[in-house]
Amino acid sequence: MTAPALRVEGLAVPFGEQAGLTGVAFEVGPAERLAVVGGSGAGKTTLLRAIAGLSPVGAGRVVIGGHDVTALPAERRDAVYLHQSPLLFPHLTAGENVAFPLRVRRVPQAEIVARVRDALAAVRLDGFAARAPRTLSGGQRHRVALARAVVSRPAVLLLDEPLSALDPALREEVRESLLALQRAYRPALVMVTHDLDDAGLLGDRIGVLLGGRLAQLARPEELFARPATLAVARLLGIPNVLPGIVRPGNRFESPLGTVALHGALAGVAVGPAVAVFRPDAAAPAPDGPLSARVTAVRHRARETTILATGAAVQVELPTGSDGVPAMGTLVRFGLRATAVSVFPGD
Amino acid sequence: MTRAGIVRSALIGLLTAGLAVPLALLVAASMADRWFWPALTPDRLTRDAWGSLLAGGRLGGAAATSVALAAATAVLATGLALPLGRALARLRGWRRGLGAAAAFLPIAVPPIALATGLQLSLLSMGLGGSFAGVLLAHTVPALGYASLYFLGLFALLDPRIEDEARSLGAPRVEVWRRVLIPMLRRPIAEALALAFLVSWAQVPLTLLIGGGAVRTLPVEVLAFVRAGQDRYAATGALLLLAPGIAALALGLSARRAEAAPL
Repeated sequence: MTAPALRVEGLAVPFGEQAGLTGVAFEVGPAERLAVVGGSGAGKTTLLRAIAGLSPVGAGRVVIGGHDVTALPAERRDAVYLHQSPLLFPHLTAGENVAFPLRVRRVPQAEIVARVRDALAAVRLDGFAARAPRTLSGGQRHRVALARAVVSRPAVLLLDEPLSALDPALREEVRESLLALQRAYRPALVMVTHDLDDAGLLGDRIGVLLGGRLAQLARPEELFARPATLAVARLLGIPNVLPGIVRPGNRFESPLGTVALHGALAGVAVGPAVAVFRPDAAAPAPDGPLSARVTAVRHRARETTILATGAAVQVELPTGSDGVPAMGTLVRFGLRATAVSVFPGD
Repeated sequence: MTRAGIVRSALIGLLTAGLAVPLALLVAASMADRWFWPALTPDRLTRDAWGSLLAGGRLGGAAATSVALAAATAVLATGLALPLGRALARLRGWRRGLGAAAAFLPIAVPPIALATGLQLSLLSMGLGGSFAGVLLAHTVPALGYASLYFLGLFALLDPRIEDEARSLGAPRVEVWRRVLIPMLRRPIAEALALAFLVSWAQVPLTLLIGGGAVRTLPVEVLAFVRAGQDRYAATGALLLLAPGIAALALGLSARRAEAAPL
């Protein structure tokens, strides 16, 4: 079995008066991409800075490439930390910025020239080596910063909200560059973000930081379909939290009707509970066991959904094959049990 | 021309005259052989003060001492102020205020009080009347100015750029060598000029610590004034103006070059 590129063991990082990070543990394999999501103040940046050696660690270990680097300074960790906004050195050209990690490692000049050329080509900036940072666009600066981060082939690349300051067009451009570089240079990548789309698109796995603890670590499809706790589900923005009662026989009785949830109820005791599901877990069907009336329509860039209400409970559902139903229409639907999480409730 | 334009032109004219007239008088005085009240111009002109300066007389020797002293002060004060200003800028709350106050103190107190205090310490160290003693004494106010200058600068400089450099593999020395110093090349040049000028103009510290053994240009000018040797005093005064004017000219031309379009 391949040794992990990064192993974090029982990491605790104090943060002023607050608890900071507590007992964070995970591994990232070589060339694997881990996205870490969490709300503001969850400790995302603190986690990256602690791994990078830029923030003091209270307890635990950081192991990179099999070596315990917890006590090593940032420059000796083989992990590059990239800030949210690209911080190019303004007195150096784009090429010299990319050459920086090689120069401080005393790499021979001929090799520097070749590696800088390759790194700039990998982010489609051939011919930009002589340009001053102030003459580059925002997207180009991001791409130069990415090329500079990987040119020394670090074992771990740590990205702090790499796309959040960008408009949608630039975001796509930088995302593509990031993926291209990661394929070419193959560092283990840990990226923190508050954007679930970025996490889903870029992460092989996603970790959820809640209150300084790693609440769940799973593949995107598993995480979005089956959040481990109600708090994780809320953080993931899963809109439907349906209260009800678990009855014997894998039945879930809700104000919208009773539905069989084979598999989803494993480990959940009979009694009050909540069922959590994304709109795409609901399947409109004329004979569906659940029903509610359409009260609003939500148009988004990628999809349109409907809000349906019954017995003072509101759920968000897909529109179905017949298009957007009229207001007040009674819609019936079932739930895919594999895409529903049920948690004990009051 | 509008009324505001006329007022603006008048003010600029007044300011120019305020600079040019005393300068012209100094130039005239530096070459006046005999110039007594109420004559508007000197009776006779001579170049002996300038000749003495160029020939390495008293003025020439004092100017050389001043240049050496100011240059050494500039290097020493800037070299110390750079990390000190950075360290102060990284402090937060009252600690930063206290640090800034400590840097400001040598500037805020009357020079004679500072000189008296320094004299007591430097004499006890056996540095009284020596170049090294005067150098250390000049460094105190110069360090104050330069530290405050760098404190303001580092407070504006994003500290994450140092993190970025370290994360890219640069040890602290390399961060200074390859990032901070090149980035701050111009501010460093300005701090050097500032510290040079602080030392260049220093009189009380030189007199008290140097005890007459270290003869700098302002000390000689003072001596010439007291002896009524106006021609030499004026020549020395003109020389004293030179670094300040040169620094201003260089600063202006550097700013103009920076403002030029790409």
